[in-house]
Amino acid sequence: MPAALRLDFRCVRTVSRTRRSLLGGALHVSSTQYRVLSMRCAIVSLATCISLLFATHAPAVQANPLVPGYERFFAEDDAHTANGGALLLGELNCLSCHEALAALSAYVQTKQAPILDNVGQRVRPEFLREYLAAPHKAKPGTTMPDLLASASESERIDKVEALVHFLASTGKLREAAPITPAVTRGETLFHTVGCVACHQPSQVDFAKLSTSVPLPAEMEKKYTLPGLAEFLQNPLHVRPSGRMPHLNLNEAEARDVASYLLRNLEVAGVVEYAYYEGSWQDLPDFSKLEPKSKGKTTSFDVNIGRPDQFGIVFKALFDVAQEGEYTFHIGSDDGSRIRVDGKEVAVVPGVHPVVFKSGKVKLTDGTHEAEVEFFEQGGGQELKVEYEGPGIKRQSLEYALMPPEDKAKDEKKFVVKPELVVKGRALFGSLGCASCHQLRIGNQQIASAVSAKPLTSLDNEKGCLADSPAKVPDFHLSKNQRVALAAAIKSLNSPNLRPARPTDAINATLTAFNCYACHQRGEVGGVERSRNALFNSNQPEMGDEGRIPPHLTGVGAKLKPGWLKQVFDDGAKDRPYMFTRMPRFGSQNVGHLIKSFAEADPPVADHSVATNIGERKVKSAGRKLSGSQGFSCIKCHTWGNVKATGIQSINMVTLTRRLQENWFHHYMLNPQQYRPGTRMPAAWPQGQVLLPNLLDGKALTQVNSIWRFLDDGDKAAMPVGLGANPIVLAAYDEAIIYRNFIEGAGPRAIGVGYPEQVNQAFDANNLRIALLWHGAFIDASKHWLGRGQGFQPPLGDNVLKLPEGVSFAVLENPETSWPTVTAKDLGYRFRGYRLGEARRPAFRYQIGNASVEDELVATSKKEFTSVRRTLTITATEPIDNLWYRAATGNTIAMANGVATIDDSWRVRVTGGKLRKSNGAELLVPVRFVDGKATIVQEYEW
Amino acid sequence: MTLNITLMDSTTTVMKKQTASPFFRSVSALALLVSASFSSFVFGQPAEDDYYRMIRFDIPPHINLEAGGIDLMPDGKLAVSTRRGDIFLVDKPFADPPKEVQWTKYAGGLHEVLGIHSVGDWLYTTQRCELTRLKDEDGDGRADLFETVSDGWEISGDYHEYAFGSRPDKDGNQWLVLCLTGSFNSNVPYRGWCVRVTPDGKMIPTCSGIRSPGGIGMNAVGDMFYTDNQGPWNGTCGLKHLRPGSFQGHPGGNGWYNLTGGVIGKRPTEPQSGSRIMTEAKKIPELEPTAVFFPYKKMGQSASGIACDSTGGKFGPFEGQLFVGDQTFSTVMRVYLEKVKGHYQGVCFPFRSGLGSGSLSLKLTDRGLFVGGTNRGWGSRGNKPYALDRLVWTGEVSFEVHEMRAKPDGFELTFTQPVDPETAGDVASYKMQTYTYIYQASYGSPEVDHTEPKITAAEVASDGLSVRLRIDGLQEGHVHELHMGNVRSVKALPLLHNVGYYTLNYIPE
Repeated sequence: MPAALRLDFRCVRTVSRTRRSLLGGALHVSSTQYRVLSMRCAIVSLATCISLLFATHAPAVQANPLVPGYERFFAEDDAHTANGGALLLGELNCLSCHEALAALSAYVQTKQAPILDNVGQRVRPEFLREYLAAPHKAKPGTTMPDLLASASESERIDKVEALVHFLASTGKLREAAPITPAVTRGETLFHTVGCVACHQPSQVDFAKLSTSVPLPAEMEKKYTLPGLAEFLQNPLHVRPSGRMPHLNLNEAEARDVASYLLRNLEVAGVVEYAYYEGSWQDLPDFSKLEPKSKGKTTSFDVNIGRPDQFGIVFKALFDVAQEGEYTFHIGSDDGSRIRVDGKEVAVVPGVHPVVFKSGKVKLTDGTHEAEVEFFEQGGGQELKVEYEGPGIKRQSLEYALMPPEDKAKDEKKFVVKPELVVKGRALFGSLGCASCHQLRIGNQQIASAVSAKPLTSLDNEKGCLADSPAKVPDFHLSKNQRVALAAAIKSLNSPNLRPARPTDAINATLTAFNCYACHQRGEVGGVERSRNALFNSNQPEMGDEGRIPPHLTGVGAKLKPGWLKQVFDDGAKDRPYMFTRMPRFGSQNVGHLIKSFAEADPPVADHSVATNIGERKVKSAGRKLSGSQGFSCIKCHTWGNVKATGIQSINMVTLTRRLQENWFHHYMLNPQQYRPGTRMPAAWPQGQVLLPNLLDGKALTQVNSIWRFLDDGDKAAMPVGLGANPIVLAAYDEAIIYRNFIEGAGPRAIGVGYPEQVNQAFDANNLRIALLWHGAFIDASKHWLGRGQGFQPPLGDNVLKLPEGVSFAVLENPETSWPTVTAKDLGYRFRGYRLGEARRPAFRYQIGNASVEDELVATSKKEFTSVRRTLTITATEPIDNLWYRAATGNTIAMANGVATIDDSWRVRVTGGKLRKSNGAELLVPVRFVDGKATIVQEYEW
Repeated sequence: MTLNITLMDSTTTVMKKQTASPFFRSVSALALLVSASFSSFVFGQPAEDDYYRMIRFDIPPHINLEAGGIDLMPDGKLAVSTRRGDIFLVDKPFADPPKEVQWTKYAGGLHEVLGIHSVGDWLYTTQRCELTRLKDEDGDGRADLFETVSDGWEISGDYHEYAFGSRPDKDGNQWLVLCLTGSFNSNVPYRGWCVRVTPDGKMIPTCSGIRSPGGIGMNAVGDMFYTDNQGPWNGTCGLKHLRPGSFQGHPGGNGWYNLTGGVIGKRPTEPQSGSRIMTEAKKIPELEPTAVFFPYKKMGQSASGIACDSTGGKFGPFEGQLFVGDQTFSTVMRVYLEKVKGHYQGVCFPFRSGLGSGSLSLKLTDRGLFVGGTNRGWGSRGNKPYALDRLVWTGEVSFEVHEMRAKPDGFELTFTQPVDPETAGDVASYKMQTYTYIYQASYGSPEVDHTEPKITAAEVASDGLSVRLRIDGLQEGHVHELHMGNVRSVKALPLLHNVGYYTLNYIPE
């Protein structure tokens, strides 16, 4: 043995001796159980080396059932434990025959066999014949037992044939050819989205891993392309137990992956072509031309000839599943025509860039012929042939192409024999297939006629576990597997079996579902070293965090139960940079983890803080901390659809939907404790406050402010500093004006930034102050870069949205309600503004014959300063019953001349009168003295 | 016709008659310096720069000069308004070269200013949202009083809703063209309209049918025109006459007739999409056909500002003609208009290319044509994000078609210099094709209905300053594209621009 291998082997032994119990000794058989081995790959590659060494000598071995969790944690000679056996009990679906107590469900996660209701639509009868005759040969590693192992050769052949005819009778196969672009895309998907976390990657030089869930050696012998694509789009439909999870492949992606897996499907030459050369301005009559060459290809490929001045006529068969009206779309550069069954459906005349034409045709279900003509005069060339119809979204017709009819092949074509269907159906029940497989005919599920002893009365050395199983299902168990199963049965039947702990269910589930292939929890699991390079990211600078799925240590205290459920049911793609997708396992399968995680991972200590600082100011602080004036979270974290300025880390907007608040508090104070190795910096290192002037200067108050801010989700205002090229306008010594579309102030908004770090947006449509806010004024980039579509929100914080409606109105009597129409409808007119001291604008407008000047001044230079609004109204003739509305809200409370509106903002104004309306209003009568009236109002918020 | 052939032709000509060539004098020394080989005689090719020199301003780095409006202030400073809402003053606008020019900010915070003009102390300013007049009351060089003159139209918050403002007409009214809400709709009042505002601030709805204007300006007699851009109901860009009460072709804004109180007549009937504009004009009396089409990708792609030459010859020989910018091509085009059957129509010629950015605002003074540019949002051949150029006439008269007038049986061409009777009198020196555009609700149109009329005679006037083309097959409603590659002046010069596009809406009787 070479030295390197010996060294590896020593490592393995060393680690083996230090193993600890995963199940905490619940199944008290072995104290030397398993733990995750970073050396695991060494074992695997060792195994590979050995198998390679012997490969040439060893006869074809019929493999044992392959369960990845078992292979990874239990398969070694000294790890044949009850835990491994319990896993096998579930994965081999033993309990579907051998009844067990419900209390054991924490230890045994039963895996239902595939549902065979429509297996005939998906799986070829030729494969079923081979598979049923010798399951372990046709699909090495299969968990399906051989039910006919004890039968005589002739009996076996007869029974298999009947079963095959019965199964084939459940549906009709549809064929389609994998096209090269789909195969290429599928190969990429297969190796990036997560398939190879469990399955063997296809690179020839990639070591064969014992933990790879087996696929049939030649997939194309088992599946048709439409059948496999449909399965991949929703594996849970056929395999409801979620071991093959739903990867959120859309229709096209599923077809791509299926095309890749079936790339060797022999349907080459599905398209016959005749190639012509010539110069045309429109489609020629090809029937009068002599083709330069003829051949077969796999798609409507227009790059088979010279670059310009050629024509091609393609002929191909395609298959539709339903009768109905179909629409064909043909798009080409230059001209093209499509005929279906000889009838013209659409034609694209002339020379031009890609132009689409469409036409409709009624088709019966079954096979039809498409004839596509194409010509290219000069320049680029392109041809797209698409169709849509009952149950088919618009897609390439290439997906429905079939091989040309082949008489010789047709004679060999499988034909269902009704008498065998009847026989096979009976066998499906009597042999025990129905014990594991659901198969409904009509609405009736076939019942199994087989009964077996309950788990409690099993003899561990007989039946399925015997050295040579006779008249029982033959699982091809290895010796170790038999020992493990026996140990598990013994433990589970033991009166000393301790009650299950949350960790038991967690370990059993994460092993059975192979969650450990991606996730580590505590010391267990995680990406195998040999598969590590298969996990990738589009943000390489994020390192492992960007490409390796997150660990699950303490996840019960981290994620919200509702979020976990959503992830189980819908999968997740919250880390857009990570190629591997979190698939759907279904909460019917793994939903119990929510409770188990919660019990196993006690919540972190409550760090919530009570503060009497107003909600808006708290959120302002949170926003400030998130933005470039604070800790620049937005530099690395995406904000909704807005990219971060640096790396593109997980979306902040969904944070409070995902995370538990307490965990967030703890995490922010010490990221490394919760995500060792994370590049997330500690913003409060050792609890130290770097921005002591913010809020009360306490770390937890500041952390809390971020949570409160983010808790507004997609309604939270974007933090300062986002966007590629912000153009921040700021007032220094003088006020600054920005007239544009301002969110909350309308299209005729006039934003004013004051040097005191306070701002307003005046709505010149309705002659009112629409917004008041503190801090930064506005980012002009939306309007000043590009064409400038959209409304720009304030850049600063603590934005007070003042109620809609005009500020002045003539009220006939004190009960008259405040007008809701616009200022223009009331005849008011905006008159502009004059810039006064420090170039502060005093807005001017006309209310009837009264002129109003409306000026705002900051009362101090302190943070969150209040502002004073002075309204000077002059009129040659006083207007009767003119009122000014100083405030309106749901509630207004008056105390010491200060009105508090909605417990949120305050105004001080002389002579104000409260009245109840649809809520409350604070109205000030306008009293003219010598043709002039003045109102002074202060706002604090 | 290709550029190469023209070059070779003219080079030969120039070699023969170089002493007579006015431009050759200015370049021959340079040509000799550069190379002794004959290939360098391409330097002898007449170039726009020999007649209209371009002076480019250096814009200080802190200034973003996306120039939407240009005017001279009473004190002689040049005011330039910007899309970002600033108004800058240039103290020495005619400095040549423009060194040590001081830039000061007169006003800021305005909303996309696409039109300014000064009247006394006031600077009238067309903002997206309103017409405003500005004044510097305290004399510190910065405006401090901003008076709203009119905000009688609405904006909804869509960036398309631009407003372009004119100089005042003879009654002191300022005219504005208001872009639709996008290409098709008018979501709020008077989008897709031309309105005029009286000196006392009253707004008078004037024309419907506007799509997406690029500029507005008067001709020499004070009639108002605007440019509209290719899109729905506009097969290509064009120059249109804002005859009060007329319908300019895009029905998107016609819903607002119900707000006008009938002052400009009833709402016109809807045009039929897919028709031709003259076919519809015969059915819809309000429909004013496009006075001059600017054939797409031949003359430009986004027609913009308008300036009328009323310099009395200080800008060359084109007194009374219009200059029109093209934003995409970074050019200035030249337009000659005449009235036929009561409607303006006419011809456009290339005039000057190579502007710094996308030409948008034009201001013609006795000392040159200022062209302000921007290419934000819509690209331009001129690669600067914004620019301010001044075109000055060198005093040399280029050999050009001066006017092209429709006749019942052809066209009359006048020239800026006497023509060579041999080439100008040969029908083979001319090539004409005609076409028009589909008048339709969907975007733009290809050229359609092509014809090739036959030029039967080219009669040179005795003074050599005009040529009468007799033509079989004039097409009413068609652009008549005339190429004159072989026409030479008596001094053997080729035409500086040898193609013109006449929009023949009406054939005179």
